[in-house]
Amino acid sequence: MLLTKESLFSMFRFVALLWQENTVHLSEIDSRFGDGDHGVTIGKMAAMILSRLNERQDESAKEFIESLGSGCMEIAGGSAGPLYGVLLEGFAGPLPCGDTEIDAATLKTMFSSARSALFEITKARVGDKTLMDVLIPATEAAEKAPDDVLSILRAAAAAAYQGVRETENQVSKFGRARNYGEKTLGTPDVGAVSTALLFKGFQRGIEQHVLDC
Amino acid sequence: MKMKKFINSPENITKELLEGFASAHRDLVTLRPGNMVVNNRLEKANRVTIVTQGGAGHEPALSGFVGDGMVDVSVVGDIFSAPGPKACLEAIKFADRGKGVLFVVLNHAGDMLTGDLTMRQAAKEGLHVVRVVTQEDVSNTPREDSGNRRGLVGCVPTFKIAAAAAAEGKSLEEVAAAARRFADNMATLAVAVRGATHPSTGIALADLGEDEMEVGMGQHGEGGGGRRQPMKGADETAEIMLNVLLADLSIRAGERVMLILNGAGATTLMELFIIYRRCEQLLKAKNVEIAANYVGELLTVQEQAGFQMFLARMDDELLRYWNAPCNTPYLKKKNFPAETAPG
Repeated sequence: MLLTKESLFSMFRFVALLWQENTVHLSEIDSRFGDGDHGVTIGKMAAMILSRLNERQDESAKEFIESLGSGCMEIAGGSAGPLYGVLLEGFAGPLPCGDTEIDAATLKTMFSSARSALFEITKARVGDKTLMDVLIPATEAAEKAPDDVLSILRAAAAAAYQGVRETENQVSKFGRARNYGEKTLGTPDVGAVSTALLFKGFQRGIEQHVLDC
Repeated sequence: MKMKKFINSPENITKELLEGFASAHRDLVTLRPGNMVVNNRLEKANRVTIVTQGGAGHEPALSGFVGDGMVDVSVVGDIFSAPGPKACLEAIKFADRGKGVLFVVLNHAGDMLTGDLTMRQAAKEGLHVVRVVTQEDVSNTPREDSGNRRGLVGCVPTFKIAAAAAAEGKSLEEVAAAARRFADNMATLAVAVRGATHPSTGIALADLGEDEMEVGMGQHGEGGGGRRQPMKGADETAEIMLNVLLADLSIRAGERVMLILNGAGATTLMELFIIYRRCEQLLKAKNVEIAANYVGELLTVQEQAGFQMFLARMDDELLRYWNAPCNTPYLKKKNFPAETAPG
């Protein structure tokens, strides 16, 4: 199967819903070693996605995802706004202009492109207890998955979940949590959690769309 | 989620506080779209201009220092959160009067990321902007690793130093060099005895016991350094903190310093003066002169109780900049001769 624009909208709708459901949970995790408002920022991004889903149905897939990226950049939400902005703009990067359906090979390059975009703005890598502990393994899993969009998104979501679990055994090396050192053991990285929800939302959105068809 | 704060809805805090702030100080500043607080005299400026950015919730910082002699445009994010890079880029373009812009960024993850993305886009567009990062929290990492030190109250005197150099007609590169020389010679240590509540979520940001204090608290009540200890008296606390700062800066007898005691929000001026008095006694005994000072609230963390002690090495040039006139909502200086008005 190919990813149509409708399935892409379904993916982002599920991301927004999952994020909305988890705002309190995310702020609670963030309050342990951060300033306790990651859920607030994620909630703003979810609202932004939902409003663009209503307004921007006419755009091409590339324009739509880029508009979400630029929407994240405009959100005054500390690190999360710019990080998700760069991630989504990277994700949209390989898409051609104009209306098109996305095949498995293109979807894989979208993951790789998002990872490359983040590599440019952060030195964090696997093991540093950041969202990179989710993005990197999810991208690798997507790249290795069978050439089928559903398999790719399932593999990415599963690797993302595993990545979050790994962050519980890590010591923070970036951001405010860094100052707590070993005290951060046992708590997942909140950015990793929200990023895993992004990939979970992609998976749920595509599965729901398959059911609807 | 319950908290005793006079707010309306959590999502409108930043908007409403900026509206009130700009109305209260309409003679000096104007609030513009994109949460930009602008110096009313920016249009007349024929010099390097100063832009900064950072989250709300730390009043009077950062926007309380917008005005002639300090900041020309401050870009305000949401509570404790950096504004996005788009807003910062707009502010830099808006502020540039043809002589270039100094962009002052505090070292916090979100602020730095926003700063990085802003600078990258500014370079693409060929804007004349230089960034200076303030990073002076001695608690979480040694001076050799200053790239990982947090930016605390030191941004405020850095604005003053940079803007005074700009007012003298210095080039952007010279202004940046003066700001960096000051910033490279400053150090801050914070102590907290009660944590703040995040005004958007109602979540408590620290859980200090009634008989505990933590030396090395960050800007938002986050710990770091982890030096929790039994509560101590004013003199003992002053001495512990001052010694850390003197050692970090390697201040020797005969040197001149700036000393700032910045209340975190719920610590009284009474306490700050008691601490100040002890610091002066200790410095006098070490033959170190307080050539500039400030005692009060510059950068707060909601109702956190505690304070930041700031020390910087001064020289004639830096003192001239510090004593130069400025007219902002929360810091005003007239041009008194230095000998009648130290600090």
